[in-house]
Amino acid sequence: MIPFQFITAFLLIFMGVYAFLYKRNLLKLILALDVIDSGIHLLFISFGYRLENNVLPTAPIYTGYETVKAPMVGPLPQALVLTSIVIGVCVLSLAVALTINAYRHYGSLDVNKLRRLRG
Amino acid sequence: MKRTFGALALLFIFGTLLVVASPQHGLKFGLGGNDWKNYRYTDQYYIDHGVQEVGGMNIVTDIVFDYRGYDTIGEATVLFTAIAGAVALLRPWRGDENGE
Amino acid sequence: MESDMGLIVKTTARATIPLIGIFGSYIVAHGHLTPGGGFQGGATIAGAGILFLLAFGLDEMKNHYNHHIYSSLEGLGGLAFLGVAMLGFSVAFFYNKLWHTGPFLNGKPGTLLSAGYLPIMNLAVGLKVFTGLISAMTAIALYRRWKE
Repeated sequence: MIPFQFITAFLLIFMGVYAFLYKRNLLKLILALDVIDSGIHLLFISFGYRLENNVLPTAPIYTGYETVKAPMVGPLPQALVLTSIVIGVCVLSLAVALTINAYRHYGSLDVNKLRRLRG
Repeated sequence: MKRTFGALALLFIFGTLLVVASPQHGLKFGLGGNDWKNYRYTDQYYIDHGVQEVGGMNIVTDIVFDYRGYDTIGEATVLFTAIAGAVALLRPWRGDENGE
Repeated sequence: MESDMGLIVKTTARATIPLIGIFGSYIVAHGHLTPGGGFQGGATIAGAGILFLLAFGLDEMKNHYNHHIYSSLEGLGGLAFLGVAMLGFSVAFFYNKLWHTGPFLNGKPGTLLSAGYLPIMNLAVGLKVFTGLISAMTAIALYRRWKE
């Protein structure tokens, strides 16, 4: 069967895309961007799992206290996801600053009313 | 009515992607013994030679700061630019019409 | 709008803000031995700063915050990161000169003073993330209201 990590990740992406298409408040659209980011990060990390013949793997870090030798999970997707999390935070902070300025000029946060370019 | 059709269509597309990306019926990303040696030899190199070449016991920090350091420089630049842009947007402008 | 949050929240904040600061510094400093590193520790220390802003209100925050120091510290963190990466420039751009042939951070792998330039980079990135996040939150809170 399909492992449950993939099902959860795709469910998160589906909920984020649905909210991004069908909601009208600007703050809800920004929250939907964050949910899509979380789903993509979970999907990317769960591609690094490693299951040898019935031995559970350990984390990729060498402490001095190991008693059982087990294979390590792949460390490369974790390094790429670290960078992606920080970039997600930066995009969200810029979006919130733009939303505050838009509310000040237009008076409402409805996407259907923000159509014309006013001076 | 249109919302339900949209939700069902999105669910169908994501279900197809789920079956394609799962490691048992679709694309193989190398879980298990022999596939790991074929497709994931970069990961195995980092695990084997990380402590001797860089000196840190945490392999993930090892990769982020020494083997792939260019990506970290790019990310620091993006962080600096985004914070500078957000702080500059929230300053009082010259054409403020209310005197408070 | 008077905006500090009652007596229970203020007393708890006075007790836990130094503890969060110490724990965040531990995460940054031991980045090459335990899980963690620069980015995670910087976000934790920024959590302590945001707790201060929420519990004590905006007026108390204005007495303790001047934007010149925070802005110059952020630039200093970025320059320190680039300067350390250019040390071994005669071989390659990111060559780990302090670990292979160097006087300082050269010990046995597994101790605190080891792994070349990794501790210096962790400190620089942690400083950058912490000052950047607190500057952004204070700029959002200090935005001038328009009709109130």
